[in-house]
Amino acid sequence: MNNSESGWSFEQVVQDVPKIGRENHSQTLLHHAQENLKYFKKSINDLKALPEIEKESAIVISAGPSVHKFNSINRIRDNYKGKIISIDGAYVNCLKRGVIPDYVLSLDPHLKRIVRWFGDPNFEENMAGDDYFDRQDLDVEFRKNSINQNLANIKLVNEHAHKTKLILCSSAPPQVVDRAIEAGFDIYWWNPLVDNPSEPQSLTRKLYAVNKLPCMNTGGTVGTAAWVFASSILKIKSIGMVGMDLGYHMDTPYNMTQTYYELIQHVGLENLEKCFIRFTFPLTQVEYYTDPTYFWYRKNFLELLSKSNSENLNCTEGGTLFGEHIQSMTLDTFFNRFNKLENYKE
Amino acid sequence: MSEFLKGNFQIKNQPKESTKAEMTKEEELKEKFKKAALGSIGGSMVYVERTELTWDGADE
Repeated sequence: MNNSESGWSFEQVVQDVPKIGRENHSQTLLHHAQENLKYFKKSINDLKALPEIEKESAIVISAGPSVHKFNSINRIRDNYKGKIISIDGAYVNCLKRGVIPDYVLSLDPHLKRIVRWFGDPNFEENMAGDDYFDRQDLDVEFRKNSINQNLANIKLVNEHAHKTKLILCSSAPPQVVDRAIEAGFDIYWWNPLVDNPSEPQSLTRKLYAVNKLPCMNTGGTVGTAAWVFASSILKIKSIGMVGMDLGYHMDTPYNMTQTYYELIQHVGLENLEKCFIRFTFPLTQVEYYTDPTYFWYRKNFLELLSKSNSENLNCTEGGTLFGEHIQSMTLDTFFNRFNKLENYKE
Repeated sequence: MSEFLKGNFQIKNQPKESTKAEMTKEEELKEKFKKAALGSIGGSMVYVERTELTWDGADE
């Protein structure tokens, strides 16, 4: 991993990730929070506390490639009655398979891309010259998304949005906010906890000063934010997670990874190979690989898990997320354990 | 270029005056997309270590 002869190391690239993120996002966060001020009617503090029995367990559906590979959403639909928390990138996939999430989280401030998870009214304009969705592996169905498919997604979201609480970050871009309102989501707002608020120049403190919204840590990505929400806001005792790969399956070529071009630019094509490291998933002994950004997400998540009172159960059945404060189990084991409860969901 | 083409005849093809400018525009656009894409490496959101899971302005 240490490549001192080429002047950089994997660790160095990982260290650069938060700096790049800060440079990229800091201005936008404050700007979007101010822009969205007029829409803040309810915050995550206004959510009704769940009855004790509903706090026993919940599933967070993230959008890693294992969701497709292991048919996780259909299995959840057929076997689980507890609360479902989905990330934006998995929402349409849930709807298509007949799962209506109780909560959906969205936080990424990107101006043009994120709205596509809800069906993008400006589809062609927003996607011109951007191959992000061709390369991302969150939902491979979005790679071949046509104009017609996007229209179908708009219709599907419009039909079901009112049944779901959208847990929307103040950093959300205007197109996502407009789309969420138009679709009819019940919206609950929050701020991202992006630095130490006890520091006088803290950006978190500035965001709070703008809108007085409660702040929630994100670990840098919406999947982790969904888990923080389940653990800290909903106070779920046992949280199952699917699609939380934080890495790539070995049959994914490097040029289909999410930061491929950026890494070439950052370290040079000749060093690209060294930007990827491998993990063996303990439950199955299958190998996966990760890039510096996913590795950073993984590191952050493992750190945040240690601060939680919840039992954390990774039911992704693959990927790179394993460690001291998270237990890997199959999704079927999770069902066996938690569906002994009465069907408490209406 | 257009001043050299003034005359009392119809030209077959319209002259392309701004090839250089168009190239520049294309390059500018490429640069814009490149810059926009660079952000992905920094993740979806800012994060720093050693912060808690939530904060509600308690010390305000």
